[in-house]
Amino acid sequence: MSSLVAAESRSIEPGGRELNLLTTRRLRALAAALSLLMLAGTIEIVIDASVGHSPLVPRSPSIANWLGFAGERLGYRVFLIALLVLTGSYAGMLALAAGSRRQVISTRWAIALVAALELIVFAGPILLSTDVFSYIAYARMAVLHGVNPYIHGPHSIFGDPIYKYVGSDWRKVATAYGPIYTLLTYPLAVLGIKGAVWGAKTQALLASAGTLALTWRCARVRGLDPKLALLIVGLNPLYFVYGLGGAHNDLIMTLLMMVAVALTFAGREAWSGASLMIGGLVKATAIVPLPFMILSRRRPAPLIGALLAGLLGAALAMAAFGVNGLDVISALNRDAGFVSTDSFPTEIAHLVGKPGIFPVDHDLLKGALVLIVLYLMWRTWRGYDWVAASGWTLLAIAVTSTWLLAWYTLWTLPLAAASRDRRLLAATLAIQALFIVHQNAPLLAPVS
Amino acid sequence: MSGPMDARANNAGRRGVGARVPGWARPLSNERGGSGSLRLAENTIVILFGLLLAVATVNDLVGQTHVNHRLAADLRTWRTVTGHDYRNLDIEQDIKTYTSRDVVCGNVSPGAPGERTQLCLVFEGSVVAGKRAISGGYYLPPKVTDAAENRYSCFGTAASSGLCGRSSPPAGAPPAPAFKTGLGPPPK
Repeated sequence: MSSLVAAESRSIEPGGRELNLLTTRRLRALAAALSLLMLAGTIEIVIDASVGHSPLVPRSPSIANWLGFAGERLGYRVFLIALLVLTGSYAGMLALAAGSRRQVISTRWAIALVAALELIVFAGPILLSTDVFSYIAYARMAVLHGVNPYIHGPHSIFGDPIYKYVGSDWRKVATAYGPIYTLLTYPLAVLGIKGAVWGAKTQALLASAGTLALTWRCARVRGLDPKLALLIVGLNPLYFVYGLGGAHNDLIMTLLMMVAVALTFAGREAWSGASLMIGGLVKATAIVPLPFMILSRRRPAPLIGALLAGLLGAALAMAAFGVNGLDVISALNRDAGFVSTDSFPTEIAHLVGKPGIFPVDHDLLKGALVLIVLYLMWRTWRGYDWVAASGWTLLAIAVTSTWLLAWYTLWTLPLAAASRDRRLLAATLAIQALFIVHQNAPLLAPVS
Repeated sequence: MSGPMDARANNAGRRGVGARVPGWARPLSNERGGSGSLRLAENTIVILFGLLLAVATVNDLVGQTHVNHRLAADLRTWRTVTGHDYRNLDIEQDIKTYTSRDVVCGNVSPGAPGERTQLCLVFEGSVVAGKRAISGGYYLPPKVTDAAENRYSCFGTAASSGLCGRSSPPAGAPPAPAFKTGLGPPPK
């Protein structure tokens, strides 16, 4: 009987292989089609954005006009359709990479696609945000004009050529970024306006490449599929269109968080703590993983590393900006009072019939965030993955923030890709999907 | 998840830091097996919260779509009643008292945005056949902000609610006719 079954298996096997081969070919063709769609959508956005200023493309020095030869000014309709195509293709690529044991997407293919998308966006103009012009303005204030960016806003250099590009809401606002980041932008100040924009874009590109490489490495160390981790972060439309497209310093922050995670996995915990502290001095939220790491490792090394780095950073900040450079809390409190229409608290307020966010809501949200953090700290103390706990906290910060921007949803993404708790990844992608859905009112009812 | 690692962690917890603390607060190196009920509770909370966010997002999207529909009707009505098919019109929503009252301003003659005398029309009510009723309006001199001290020749609700700070048009200003309120045709 057993020999008969074996004989049957042998006779069926060649056919089964053919079927497998056919299925694999079809899946590869699908992956190729999705890759092409992602490339096409990205190229469309970049070419149209290169034509010039639009509601989605900030007024900017002309750094990529030569790309706009075949484009039309980027409007909501084209952008949102491209964004939806990118999102759908991203979901399909992740499903193909995660759902099949076959090599549907080869490693070379994955790396080449991610690199191509990043380089296309890098070659284009600044997208969807004026933040990069604020970064450059703060650098020019400090380096060229001797004005402290932790006391004054860009309006103090209104004669400077960068001033007209700074977002109107931010012209009177002192910097909320960490002193290490402001020092990192100093070289940009002497590059001229176009040179500074390219410099900031290069910083963002390098930070993104570093984040992707470390996400790969961390996933492999944890026994997760590194290629899937790379695709989760690198193909994410919010990551490369909004994050890299706007040259946001959030990418430098995520790089330093991933450096810390990789160093912890390599057993270099003091350096890991130091990396998080430096990250916190770039953008305050980078410090979030530190308590979870300390609770998880239960050794003094990360804390000592963080304290030493903090002292060094504080000394640098004091020397460069005085005590104002260290006043992160007041900057965070100021920013916590901002309200954006895309924030989830605003949406919930509308759902319950309120016109918007009231002061008491800010207190309730802060209270909820504290409870979530305390719960996650307890879970980490009881053995839960500290990387996941850090990711949940960053996600909770984004969700409870009344000032939500697309790049805030990116903080969690590399951690989620390297986390053992796949619920974090699902939640992060769901939040991003809701953010994208919420953008679509101009597509459903255009105003022109 | 349960295994030798957990046993070591638990023993370490009992002998060391966690010797005098209750079981729920003892440190563990790895999550204990059998924490299924905790994960179930977490999953339930996360899913319910996710559903709340999804409903809120869709509700807001629908609401914003209605607002856009209204704003498009405002612009269409301004262009129809003025006879000017200008693309660059300023539109201001009521973000203080959250009514559906919008104000649309545009040049009375061709020119860059805000470079000519501005006609501002106030719209209220629901969208009817792609248009909205004019409830009032006023004029602004060129290159000024839309503030009470700059407004003149108010009509309709703009006049009754005292939106105009100027009693007369500035010297050399073009004619400033009052527009018929409601959904009527433009004045001759």
